[in-house]
Amino acid sequence: MSLSLSQRFSIKRFTRGEPANDTTITLNHRRIFILPSKGGLAMALVILLMLVASINYNNSMGFAFTFLLAAAAQASTFYSYKNLSGLRISMAKSPPCYAGSSGTMNLLIKEPDERERWAINASLDKNNTFNLRRDESLQISLTIQPTKRGWYYPKTITLASQFPFGFFRAWSPLRFKQALLVYPKASDTGLTLPVNLNDENNGIISSPQSGTDDFAGLIPYQIGHSYRHINWKALAAEKGFYTNQFNADQSATIMLDWQTCEHLPVEGRLSQLCYWVNRCEDNGYIYGLHIPTADISPSHGHRHQHACLKALALYE
Amino acid sequence: MNNQLIPLRPVQPALIKLLLASCTLLLIPHIANLKPEFIAIAFSLLTWRALVLRFPKVMPHKFLLLPISLALALFVLKTFGMSLGRDASSSLLIILMGLKLLESRSSRDIQAVIYMCFFVLITPFLFDQRIEIAVYALIIFFMLLFALVINNTSGASLKSIPLLRVAGMVLLQAIPLMLVFFILFPRMIGPLWAMPDDQAAVSGLSDKINPGQISNLALSDKTAFRVRFKDGAPKQKDLYWRGPVFWETDGQAWTLTPPRKSSFDRAQTLPANNDDYHYTLMMEPHQQFWLYALDLPSSAPKNTRLTHDHQLILSQKLSRNLSFKLTSSTQATLKNLSKHDRTRTLSLPSKTDPRVYALAKHWVTNSTSNTGVINQALRFYNDSFYYTLRPPSLGKDPIAEFLFDSKRGFCGHFATSFATLMRAANIPARLVGGYQGGVYNNVGNFYNIRQADAHVWVEVWLHKTGWTRVDPTAAIAPNRIEHSIDASSQRLNGDVHFLLNPPEGLRKWAQEMTWIMHSVDYYWQNAVLAYGPEKQLDFLSQFGIVDWGDMIIWLSVFSGVILFMVMSTMFFTKTNNDPVQQAYLTLCKRLAKRAGAREHHETADDYFQRTIDSYPHIEKQLLTVKNLYLNARYGNGIKVQFLEAVKNFKL
Repeated sequence: MSLSLSQRFSIKRFTRGEPANDTTITLNHRRIFILPSKGGLAMALVILLMLVASINYNNSMGFAFTFLLAAAAQASTFYSYKNLSGLRISMAKSPPCYAGSSGTMNLLIKEPDERERWAINASLDKNNTFNLRRDESLQISLTIQPTKRGWYYPKTITLASQFPFGFFRAWSPLRFKQALLVYPKASDTGLTLPVNLNDENNGIISSPQSGTDDFAGLIPYQIGHSYRHINWKALAAEKGFYTNQFNADQSATIMLDWQTCEHLPVEGRLSQLCYWVNRCEDNGYIYGLHIPTADISPSHGHRHQHACLKALALYE
Repeated sequence: MNNQLIPLRPVQPALIKLLLASCTLLLIPHIANLKPEFIAIAFSLLTWRALVLRFPKVMPHKFLLLPISLALALFVLKTFGMSLGRDASSSLLIILMGLKLLESRSSRDIQAVIYMCFFVLITPFLFDQRIEIAVYALIIFFMLLFALVINNTSGASLKSIPLLRVAGMVLLQAIPLMLVFFILFPRMIGPLWAMPDDQAAVSGLSDKINPGQISNLALSDKTAFRVRFKDGAPKQKDLYWRGPVFWETDGQAWTLTPPRKSSFDRAQTLPANNDDYHYTLMMEPHQQFWLYALDLPSSAPKNTRLTHDHQLILSQKLSRNLSFKLTSSTQATLKNLSKHDRTRTLSLPSKTDPRVYALAKHWVTNSTSNTGVINQALRFYNDSFYYTLRPPSLGKDPIAEFLFDSKRGFCGHFATSFATLMRAANIPARLVGGYQGGVYNNVGNFYNIRQADAHVWVEVWLHKTGWTRVDPTAAIAPNRIEHSIDASSQRLNGDVHFLLNPPEGLRKWAQEMTWIMHSVDYYWQNAVLAYGPEKQLDFLSQFGIVDWGDMIIWLSVFSGVILFMVMSTMFFTKTNNDPVQQAYLTLCKRLAKRAGAREHHETADDYFQRTIDSYPHIEKQLLTVKNLYLNARYGNGIKVQFLEAVKNFKL
């Protein structure tokens, strides 16, 4: 990836990083910057004092060791650089999270050069320090605190290291294209779960627990069945995995409708609907979602839940 | 800048132990230099920290630490006053180092402790710059670098080989740059601020000669100065190294009067002569104003002035190693004697014992010339005097007591009594302090003049020859020498008893070793320690570097070159040096034409399996080559066999 001249000299490269283009970033001399850290400035002061003392006493060995220390500090910059260079960084799949609560961005860091890497610090909102062994791939989870629903584009992720002496800080600001889906904040305003009045089993739904009582038998477990419905007793009796089957007819079909909570503000509605979606999924109901931008027919399961929450997250 | 990178992590005990060890090692060279109370305080602070490791409860609270720190600072202030001299700053630094280590809880504190240790590391050099101490300091330097690395990698083990390697490599890569700076960094003359006069030990002769004084020196094996002759050297018995000249006596001691301006004005340089000796003299710092030179220095070298009695006087006390280029003549004599000088060199204190005058008069009446008087005096010494380094102590009138009662002494006694006798006989006489002889080091081709060679002799003024050297000590009959002045041979003479005398070969070998060690020391002193402003200009002017501007330009050029070289070794792709691997890779390239390139994940087995599909007609050949490769690289196979097979391989 080549840069235009103006991009090359832009100060943003130092602080925010290059524009997000690649999915995998290999750290090289263009991406790694290095400047003295606070500790390094303090060391410069110590070296200066040592130099003054050596000059004052005209002390050859004083000079020799002062210069040796300064030269060692200089040589350490190579090791700071080497500690970061060559690392391949990409975004790993990160689970969606809810607005207002903390989520994680997963970063995959690969060490390809058969060198050990020490005390690298990855920071987004919070710091995370790690070591890397030779040829190791490491997944780093960075905690984030998204406040808004929708697509969350991570800010600049900074990889930094003060290895080996703490005199210099080498860092690399990184930006990625991948975004994280943030669901609306799930909150209950106290409205009762809307019941589809056209349903035959009118009235049963008033007790949310009733749906689980209509036990219809066991079927062998398949991937995709909710773990809440696994028959643990059967498993404990070493009969294998079975899933409790509920009678679909007797289970409720709930249409979560935008109109139900019309009196709430938009974000409040989305939060309420989000809460209901989770509630229905947890209770094993069959539910659908109807909002102005999407119409999702009743179903259940994680994929369905995700589709509903995604529709809510991306509303408008 | 993000300052969260040195977080307030707790420190691992292993790192504290490493630092405790480093600090202890840092204190050891100071034991002889600093006042014992400060050494004791520093050690107790370290011990306290060590106890905290064992019993975390004894960690001092900061409300306790503050008064302790203030009290210790006050103690230093009270001892040394406001001066910021060598002793004061070293004492303060070692105490601060101990205190900071004691209160260290986080890695940031540790970082500060290590910085202080680096400063403390150079303080022993203010007292002594011997090569052993430099090597010792280099070891501590490495330990401190390693401590820094450990401190900046969270929770790494002290046994981590890669981290040890990083510290070692940084040290190795730092050395070339350090050398460039050492040679080219512009040195300044003179202190930046006036240094309080620390009581640096005055070594060698002092500006006062008592008859019984030189014996302290006689046992010291320390080097006074070193000399390398350009062409030939004089004979051992002619190696009289002239130092201060004493004119005045009060009957007990001879004192040096600082030379006056007229003395410098009347100084005469000697004309150049073919027999002159040219040599370089490396002076150890002796904290005195004078320089030593082979009898007699022809002219004054740089930074010194010649007096009319041919002493070489420095512009300030010598407090660092310096080397001088000198020319001396052993033939020339000083013929001038002014009237004033004559009275000065004839005066004796009024209380001089009448027996001295009587003896002198006896000689004068029995001889026709001054030379005759001198010969009689020397015979007098030869007849009945003993040479010993442990003479009986003398009372109020040491000259008379020595001459007529004890008759035992060494150069101080002989020279002072002889000069007194000569003055009593109306012959102008003065005392010259210096060194006689020296040990020739045939490894390094130089003379090592030790404190043990300190000597005092007399110069008398004769009409024919002017000022003439007379060494009454040399007149002593050899069988009356009770102790050699050589400290090491004195040990052999019976002061120290060996259970078994070392065999001849071993002794010779030991002698050789001493010479080599002295040679190393000579080069250390001459090339490294004496590399000051003058020597730097001397050295660099050979390369056309004559001022600060040039030095800075070349400093940048060389630093740049070195940085580039280090960078290239570190970052340019490593070439593969394994011939087997190289041959294998070229073979793979040839096979790739039809079989496709070898994928990175493919093992040799996999790849050859694939190639056999493309080259079925040479299946056997391929399998053999593969097996040879696997054996050569991973097994005990013979490498040459595989290389041959690749060479003969045909598609």
